[in-house]
Amino acid sequence: MSKQAGTRSKVSFGVYMKKYWQLYAMLALPLIYLLVFKYAPMIYVQIAFKKYSLVESVWKLPIAANHGWEYFIKAFQNNDFKYALRNTLTLNLLDLIFGFPAPIIFALILNELCFQRYKKVVQTIAYMPHFLSWVIIYSLALQLLAPNDGLVNMVIAKLGGTAIPFLNDEAHWIGSYIGFGIWQNFGWGSIVYLASIAGINPELYEAAAVDGAGRFRKMWHITLPGIKPTIVVLLIMSLGNILGGGFDRPFAFQNNLVMKVADVIATYVYRVGIKGLQFSLTTAVGLFQSVVGVFFLLMANFISRRLGERGIW
Amino acid sequence: MKKKVLSMFLASAMALSIVACGSSNGGAATESQPAATEAAPAATETQAEAPAAEPETASELTDGKFADTRKITVEIYDRGNDGGSDPENNMYTEYIKKGMLEEHNVEVTFKKVPRWTEVDDINNLLAAGEAPDICVTYSYPTVLTYAQMGGVIDLSELIEQYKADTPNLWAWLGDQNMLWDKDPKTGTVWALEGRRAEQQRIVTFVRQDWLDKLNMKAPTTTQEFEDMLIAFRDNADTLLGKDASKMVPFSTSYDVGWRASNIITSFMDPNITDKEYYINGFDDRAVTQAATKDAVKLLNKWYNEDLMWKDFALYGSGDTTEDDMIKAGYVGAFQHNWDYVFRNGEDAINSNLQRNVGEDAKFVPVDCFQNSEGKYAKWLYSSAGDRKLFFPTTNTEPLASLLYLDFISKPETIKYLQAGEEGVTHEVLDSGAIQIIAAEGDAIQNSGKNIDYTITCNGTYFGDQKLADLSIAYGYAGQDPELVSAADKISKADGLEPKNVNVGVIEAEAGVGDTLSAKRDQVYDQAVVASEADFDSVWEAGIADYLSAGGQAIIDERTAKWAEYFGDSDMLP
Repeated sequence: MSKQAGTRSKVSFGVYMKKYWQLYAMLALPLIYLLVFKYAPMIYVQIAFKKYSLVESVWKLPIAANHGWEYFIKAFQNNDFKYALRNTLTLNLLDLIFGFPAPIIFALILNELCFQRYKKVVQTIAYMPHFLSWVIIYSLALQLLAPNDGLVNMVIAKLGGTAIPFLNDEAHWIGSYIGFGIWQNFGWGSIVYLASIAGINPELYEAAAVDGAGRFRKMWHITLPGIKPTIVVLLIMSLGNILGGGFDRPFAFQNNLVMKVADVIATYVYRVGIKGLQFSLTTAVGLFQSVVGVFFLLMANFISRRLGERGIW
Repeated sequence: MKKKVLSMFLASAMALSIVACGSSNGGAATESQPAATEAAPAATETQAEAPAAEPETASELTDGKFADTRKITVEIYDRGNDGGSDPENNMYTEYIKKGMLEEHNVEVTFKKVPRWTEVDDINNLLAAGEAPDICVTYSYPTVLTYAQMGGVIDLSELIEQYKADTPNLWAWLGDQNMLWDKDPKTGTVWALEGRRAEQQRIVTFVRQDWLDKLNMKAPTTTQEFEDMLIAFRDNADTLLGKDASKMVPFSTSYDVGWRASNIITSFMDPNITDKEYYINGFDDRAVTQAATKDAVKLLNKWYNEDLMWKDFALYGSGDTTEDDMIKAGYVGAFQHNWDYVFRNGEDAINSNLQRNVGEDAKFVPVDCFQNSEGKYAKWLYSSAGDRKLFFPTTNTEPLASLLYLDFISKPETIKYLQAGEEGVTHEVLDSGAIQIIAAEGDAIQNSGKNIDYTITCNGTYFGDQKLADLSIAYGYAGQDPELVSAADKISKADGLEPKNVNVGVIEAEAGVGDTLSAKRDQVYDQAVVASEADFDSVWEAGIADYLSAGGQAIIDERTAKWAEYFGDSDMLP
């Protein structure tokens, strides 16, 4: 088999390329994109180990103190970085705990709806927040939740209650932050699950119905196992992101009163690196973040394969 | 089979990408290396060549003009005003461009930078090697950071060398501002200090019509001010009717250190030594000064008694929510720049109040925060300490750039930029005073007194101090001159002038300016909104955080430098 394959592939490779070269030509563009925007910038990772200067070439910068580890040591001695690390982990974990199941539950519920048109309408409405930028969502949040003139608090005040500090008290802020995150994402996130559910063989449901299974039994024994591979892949990807996460959401939601719980690595890097010009320090932080992210990803992938699921590669 | 071919292709693509990555790696290296070597000699050139070039300079300019046209770029703030003029292209830029071309054969291009994120934007421009030849910033620590990275031209020799070519610059800024930042040890001058023609800083404004309605007199002590706020709060129904729930007796922003400055200063020990003030003086909002805590405690009390705007900390820099509230008439009192309610002609706060609330609605300046000696102490600006002008090392035309600064500092230029044209932007009153009127289109000044263009001069000058003094009350289109004049007087009454303690570079200050000012705002904001019981612990925790983030290192280094230069003395010589 292998011999045969070897000789035949040589013949067919040319033929194959002749036939399909257009497809590979199309692939070239995204590859170039990755090279230019994702690989080339990696050259500058070295400034984490060097003393950065605005005007000097990266290749000529002197190695930082402590054999190049100066900025890593500095970062871990810095309270702000420790807070940012802690907050990144906490907020992402909370996102994972509350935000990850939301689209699954939503997809399951949506799948049970009989009226197709109603289902479509609900689905479309649920997608919409995904297309709003976080800056806009935060302005909505302010209009709704500000203690003095937010709509919700005005209603509470009218009903005789006291204003709830949704955005200006640390614990409440975390709730609002996570809540808006779920709201923005659950509709969009459910698409993948709905697609996956659509791929389940309908005969299974019919068989289960014959066996006397009700809605919940079917959901539990057919739908959920049917989408389990999808869930696992998405879970692995979110775990890889546990130390990452976007910049715009925390940045838009931050205010001076909650910085202790709201400052995450991305915003810390922006403030100290780009605004404070400490590029070496923040590159070190960014590198650390990526390395830990890759570690989480590998771990999750390893565990999932051990448990007999497909990994992501 | 196909799968195999595909995987082979992918593998080769991968290999290719790695090779490409390697070569792009190398490419970048070879590319950036010459760029760096290019930049490096440029830097050394300007420094090393400067003294040697002296005989050449005489021939470089004939009658102040270059033989061949030189090109420079100049930073200009973009304030994004509604209906403002294009900052890069308007009546004033035309005047400057024409003048520079005619007088010096220098072509000027303006490069706009958003006002409220100027430091971030200049960072990016510098890092990209695209910074304007003449940069402007309010932040000296930022200039120092660039300088320590080798990104700024040392002006010490250039300004002396070209002194004869730049008489207006030296005349206007004087030795004091030209050499304000001269390092006492190394002699470097990284930036020139623009001069403040006006030194007024912050005053307190209250709603005169509310006082009248409640039959109250303008407050003259801190206690009376507090009583007034309580009266505003308790009479919200009378004052605001159906909008009573929107009542804000005293308003502030996230920047409490600025927006309660007069209160904070009134708590300061009147006999504070120069040494103590200097050591804690890195933060211009005085967060680490000894008495500041007591001032904030008072604000905290007001906050908890519903005398202050509850949402102040939620809105960041440049947000207009508070201004909109003030203009809509919901705010009873606030502190801000001495001319804040008069700014922007038709859109001024007082003009808006007249339109939105009624003819008699207006903010008037009051003076009521006494210190322990009974004085209404408040900080003035020093005549320096305004904009810092520096040339990045990418500037290859230092002489042309200095000539620009000279042109900008000429009395006629300042007069034109501030007053514009008669009938368009100003009228001349019988007394000779210049009355600014609302302008339209290209003639609109995006900043008060057009300070964005007069980068060496901040405040009314008109090229003539007498004319300026005469005109100051008429500097705001559509505003009551008497009120402006009152605010001017109050803002200077018992004013304290900052002193220049020049002990060279404080290393600990580089790169931490932004972090610390963000921290300082957090300390203020969190302390103001804390419950009264928690106030002490919140304040102490905030200050500890501020100090550990670099504040203490600055205090220590300042203490050491003070001892080095002034020994045991508590006061400046």
